[in-house]
Amino acid sequence: MALSVRSWVANEGGKHLVLVLWLGANTLLFMRTFLLYYCGQQYHYLHQMLGLGLCISRASASVLNLNCSLVLLPMCRSLLTYLRGTHTVRSRKARRLLDKSKTFHMACGVAICVFSVVHVSAHLVNMVNFSVRYSEEFPSLNVARYRGEDPRLIILTTVPGITGILLVLILFLMFTASSYCIRVSNYEIFWYTHNLFIVFYIILIVHVVGGALKYQTNFEAHPPGCLRANQTNPDKTEEESGQAEGDGRSCREEARFQPNSPETWLWVSGPLCLYCAERLYRYIRSNSPVTIVAVVRHPCDVIELRMLKKDFKAHPGQYIVLNCPSVSSFENHPFTLTACPTEKKETLGIHLRVVGDWTERFTELLLPDPGAESEILPMVQQRRYPKLYVDGPFGSSSQEVFNYEVSLCVAGGIGVTPFACVLHALLDGWRHFRLRRLYFVWVCRELQSFYWFAELLCALHHKLWKENRPDYLNLQLFVSQTDGLQNISEERYRPLSSRLMIGRPRWKLLFEEIGRTNKHKRVGVFCCGPKGISRTLHRLCNSDRYSGTTFEFNKESFS
Amino acid sequence: NGKIEWAMWANEQALAAGLITLTGVPRAAGVFVCLLEYPRGKRNKGTSVERTGQYCFTVCVKSFGPLTRNYYVRAFLHAAICVPGGFILAAVLGCVCLGIASLIYLAAAIRGEQWEPILPWKESARKPVGESIKLPPQNPPPRPPAEMRRKRAEDLEAAAYVNPIAVTANDD
Repeated sequence: MALSVRSWVANEGGKHLVLVLWLGANTLLFMRTFLLYYCGQQYHYLHQMLGLGLCISRASASVLNLNCSLVLLPMCRSLLTYLRGTHTVRSRKARRLLDKSKTFHMACGVAICVFSVVHVSAHLVNMVNFSVRYSEEFPSLNVARYRGEDPRLIILTTVPGITGILLVLILFLMFTASSYCIRVSNYEIFWYTHNLFIVFYIILIVHVVGGALKYQTNFEAHPPGCLRANQTNPDKTEEESGQAEGDGRSCREEARFQPNSPETWLWVSGPLCLYCAERLYRYIRSNSPVTIVAVVRHPCDVIELRMLKKDFKAHPGQYIVLNCPSVSSFENHPFTLTACPTEKKETLGIHLRVVGDWTERFTELLLPDPGAESEILPMVQQRRYPKLYVDGPFGSSSQEVFNYEVSLCVAGGIGVTPFACVLHALLDGWRHFRLRRLYFVWVCRELQSFYWFAELLCALHHKLWKENRPDYLNLQLFVSQTDGLQNISEERYRPLSSRLMIGRPRWKLLFEEIGRTNKHKRVGVFCCGPKGISRTLHRLCNSDRYSGTTFEFNKESFS
Repeated sequence: NGKIEWAMWANEQALAAGLITLTGVPRAAGVFVCLLEYPRGKRNKGTSVERTGQYCFTVCVKSFGPLTRNYYVRAFLHAAICVPGGFILAAVLGCVCLGIASLIYLAAAIRGEQWEPILPWKESARKPVGESIKLPPQNPPPRPPAEMRRKRAEDLEAAAYVNPIAVTANDD
């Protein structure tokens, strides 16, 4: 399948532009600082003592400054939700970049690790040079106390040294616990080590206060190199003028040195305060508990939960994070909203699938045992639901479904939840959106899964037929497990049974059909499901067979 | 909540430490640690994700039997490498990281975890998924033999037969 330049630029161009800009900023900063220490007159003597290690360590430090400040910004989720939701950012292209905020965070994290290794290695060389090239001419320039002092002792007895060791240890713990494998299997390790970032930043600010590296303040009066030219006893103070051999420069004073003023706090304090404010805001917002209004059991291990929370507003496609102290005090789990509060109905709803420990335990607390239903008279009891805290809503890429003229939504299994919320919103009123046509493809393993939203789909279908827009919603349901004859037999779900197909969808044909019937339009492709489907769709969006139609890929992701 | 598998984290740390040690002076130690730690162990619960191309490493590491299966041995081994290496300045970074990995392996060993190799096995549970049905059914449902089907005007009752497959009316 040939890659189309136009499709590729539409899908990948924005991300790669940001990547190029970021790499450019890092390179520029590195080169500028390197050259400053390499050629700068005020660092001449220091450079003589330390050599290349000085330039590399300082250049990597400035790159570290930049990345330590940038790494916090993509994690300000409430801020990003605000930017995405209220159309403060006007262009849809720019809002699509917000989908990649976690990738940007990881890129900055990797840069921090790589440049930390460079920085530490260069400083180890510096320690050796401080010791070996101990300077009797300029005693104030030294960090070692005497010539030949053990470099390890220098590290352990200076503030930058000890804080540097602690920083490396924390960074090591954070980095090794953030691999994809660990996040998927033992999320708690990742979460608790990553929250050490606050300790990291505090120690970082102490690290730069040490003032080990000094610059020369009076290089006009004492041009570097003029002392050497005079060839006199270095102990004597230099008052002679104009005796330099072959330099022609006068040496009026002795060299004076002053420590560099730390600039890390300038870089880091802004984003750190912003992030801390964001966490505080989220904590305050999530502190009012929600009231659980209804719990419904659905087939295939799915529970629907309806809740009421004061002053909660959400858009379709957003997700919330649940915390249930009775199950686990510190675990937070994200769930996409399947029903947003509206004027008619104030409850918010989620559908959650029972897959791991937390969901199992949570379901046990919410619903009675199935065995207990064998009572003869069903007793209406006041159920004591557990206390639940809701943080959010947070934005995701599915919010953009309404901003394209034509959208294709592909859901795999329980991944239908963001689109269910979209369909609810369309049921309330579809005319005022920019969306004119919606292709909805839902692939499930078992037939029973379609009953989660069968009512909703049929209701929307009937409404659109009545209002004379039969081509607005194009529904295709697929059951991927092919054993036995399967059908949705209920009469009221007739629109679904006639659109049900056995086997997996053939994406190429689907894209071609959409391309033919929507020529020269921009189609938004939204996928929430397994990686295989998402990869196939992404590849198809970047290729070029579709009669002038551009497909823009938007992926929903949670981890 | 007590279901964290510490060995997986220790493995990531040891591999990272091995890579860092490769840049320092005791390169052989770094190479050894990387070779030992590259193949990921199998998880107790859930799917295990292999590292790319780790199968040959898995076979090598598995062949050492209890020496590589037991995490006490690994904890001790990493500690033994990192302590002398810590005195060499160029290796101090890698050795400190290896030391932390050693401590976490110790914790994993105390909790009774073990290294199990990830070996490929045939998936028998999932049936293969079919393609979409492209054409409508070619053959009509089976019918009784011709002589039974021929309508005999004189014996209408005997000419009736029951379809083997139920046919529903169109306006169901």
